[in-house]
Amino acid sequence: MVVKALAAGAIGLALGVAVSGSILADPPFGVVTIGAWRVAAKAGSLEADPYTRAALARSGEIPLALGEGLKLVARVDSAGRPLDRRCLYRVGTHTPAARYWTLSLTDADGYPVENAAGRYGFRSSEILREGDGGFSVYVSALAHSGNWLPVGHVQTFALALRLYDTPLAASAGGIEKSSVPTIERESCA
Amino acid sequence: MSVTARLGGAALFVAAVAATAALVQFAVVLLVPVVAAHDAYARLAELGPPGTTAPLPRAGPDERRFAWGDPALAASFCRFDLSAGPMRVKAPVGRAGFASLSFHTRRGAIFYALTDRAATHGRIEAVIVTPAQLRVLVAHDDEDDPSQDLRVVSPTAQGFVIMRAFSELSSLYGAAADEVKAMACATEPPPP
Repeated sequence: MVVKALAAGAIGLALGVAVSGSILADPPFGVVTIGAWRVAAKAGSLEADPYTRAALARSGEIPLALGEGLKLVARVDSAGRPLDRRCLYRVGTHTPAARYWTLSLTDADGYPVENAAGRYGFRSSEILREGDGGFSVYVSALAHSGNWLPVGHVQTFALALRLYDTPLAASAGGIEKSSVPTIERESCA
Repeated sequence: MSVTARLGGAALFVAAVAATAALVQFAVVLLVPVVAAHDAYARLAELGPPGTTAPLPRAGPDERRFAWGDPALAASFCRFDLSAGPMRVKAPVGRAGFASLSFHTRRGAIFYALTDRAATHGRIEAVIVTPAQLRVLVAHDDEDDPSQDLRVVSPTAQGFVIMRAFSELSSLYGAAADEVKAMACATEPPPP
């Protein structure tokens, strides 16, 4: 009986620690999903939930205030499939209203990925646009014409869309799915 | 031992494991912010002493201190300790491009933020105070000539301020970096 209780305690402890690790890598609470994108608008605020707070303390991230902007992260394409380095993605063609935005590629932990082009992201103020003001960013490991965001040498990657000085900040839940960029998988090697 | 008793024992064992796991993960989640030796404040402490402005390293593949940094943004910080008195922060914002200040507690939570839209005479200025300091300052305010200071109350005596400046082009990053370096943080004498 005692042996069983101790075994249950030990397994429970190990399981609890393992579960904490995976939850804190990507906390599921206070997150709104908009198309392929996820946004934790209250992550940096005093009202953040304990899981989000713990994840921030561990990653060292310095979050944006709601009044500064919003960070949206995509780890899947618009069809919900995990982003795959063997595929070519087209991201566009517009973003929610913001004074500036940036679209960048990171590894799973949120750090830019080394690439020969030295290209980690695009700014709204520098991107090549189409005639109607829309844009397309091509995300792939192989070089592509136009706005090419290289995947570099990582197996898993994420896309981060930052909206600076956006009127949407107060109501992240109210962002229309149709206003965020789509991430279309064009082809796969 | 009957089959039912065995099954009951196994169910009890599984329940004990699940209950322990649930308790452990919740305890871990609650304890991490308290015991995290390497939270944002601790990482900033490695880069500059309290009360002085220091640049944040630009986000890049070789810079792995602050996750989810944007390479298009230049940033600087100063840490504050209000036990010696309020801290006045002055940030010049004269460039084209977005600039902002965010005020964080010791644990990193944001308690206030300002953007360049709030700038007057080409700068954003605020005084960070404790609730007790605010009471004293308000009591001493001249009713006919009230202070023009923007007073921001910090829930914790220690914390940090981040200034961010957006560069419209890669070639303009240097100008944004110069702007955030010019943020001035100075401890004021404690109110009487």
